[in-house]
Amino acid sequence: MKHTLQFDQLSCRLRVEGLPDVSAGQAADAVGIITGWTLAWVGRPELEGRREHLLALMQVVLPYARHLISAAPRPFGAADQPVAIGPGAAGLHRLELRSSQPDTPPLQVDLDAAELADLVRVLDQLRLDPRLVLPLPVPVDRPLRARELSEREPLQRRLAAPVGGAAALAVAAALALLLPPPPLTQPTNRPVPAAGAPSAGTPAAGG
Amino acid sequence: MLLTLEALDLNGGEAMVWMSAQPALAERLPNRVELWKLRCHNPLRRACRRGTLAPADSDALIRLLCQMADRLYPMLRTLLSASEPEERKAQHWALLQERLSELVRERMNPRRSGVQRLLEPEAGLRQLRSLVQALAFAAGPGGVERLRASLLDAAP
Repeated sequence: MKHTLQFDQLSCRLRVEGLPDVSAGQAADAVGIITGWTLAWVGRPELEGRREHLLALMQVVLPYARHLISAAPRPFGAADQPVAIGPGAAGLHRLELRSSQPDTPPLQVDLDAAELADLVRVLDQLRLDPRLVLPLPVPVDRPLRARELSEREPLQRRLAAPVGGAAALAVAAALALLLPPPPLTQPTNRPVPAAGAPSAGTPAAGG
Repeated sequence: MLLTLEALDLNGGEAMVWMSAQPALAERLPNRVELWKLRCHNPLRRACRRGTLAPADSDALIRLLCQMADRLYPMLRTLLSASEPEERKAQHWALLQERLSELVRERMNPRRSGVQRLLEPEAGLRQLRSLVQALAFAAGPGGVERLRASLLDAAP
């Protein structure tokens, strides 16, 4: 009843062993319980672990790849997580694997972009495989905010438009203040005549 | 990114049309004219169409791009691999940059700053490396959501 799912790329091979969860009514060829996995790399030590380690690997590597598409790489994986990944030296990508054993130093693996892309592909193939009915939740890919992008317009260019607009407004206000105010006209206190009565300046009729 | 795929594969244009005939994409991309019309919504092109793409059309183009990248993944991987001899890799990049520049000069508006940056030798090569890397990580069905999220990034 044990099944093995195998995914191959040029530099790595991912093998996942598991069983169907019969109590949940899964098909005989499904993998609903992961009993173990191995990740074999060319020229590097083989990795192996349990379901939670595989999940931790997917939860850092796939979001890291998403950030690389936007050319905004940043480290993923908190200090208390078994897997972390981040930009390394000389354009490489450093994958750090922390053992649960207390006296075991973390294993650091430097991957070039091609090897990392291979790893991303095998992880994608695994999580999209219809035979795997076990949920392996990974963070939802979301658009990056402007602050998260590494290639932004220079601060001077971004501030040019608002600063220019404020300066233009200040200059216009200063010019308006320089204009002479319109002359004040004194109001005349002439009494308004009643209807039908002659006004003071007009001669009376017949006189 | 679509132009980069055409630069990688000499038959990229025809491969794109052939791939768009698949059932999942044929509804939005029934023929090469419709594909061309959707691509013309890119404001960097010489002749571009007004308006924005419908979500279904954007989705079809993204899926087409990811499938094309999946098909050309071995070439993308070779370009990104650090184990390739440096001299050979430099030749591959130079050839790819030359092909892309020809396509850009043929189809893109040269007065746009984004297009001019692509045609510069050093800045263009840096941008080309970013494009190839992005295509490698977006290749295949697993890359569709990653690429879609990236295309919706905030303006820099």
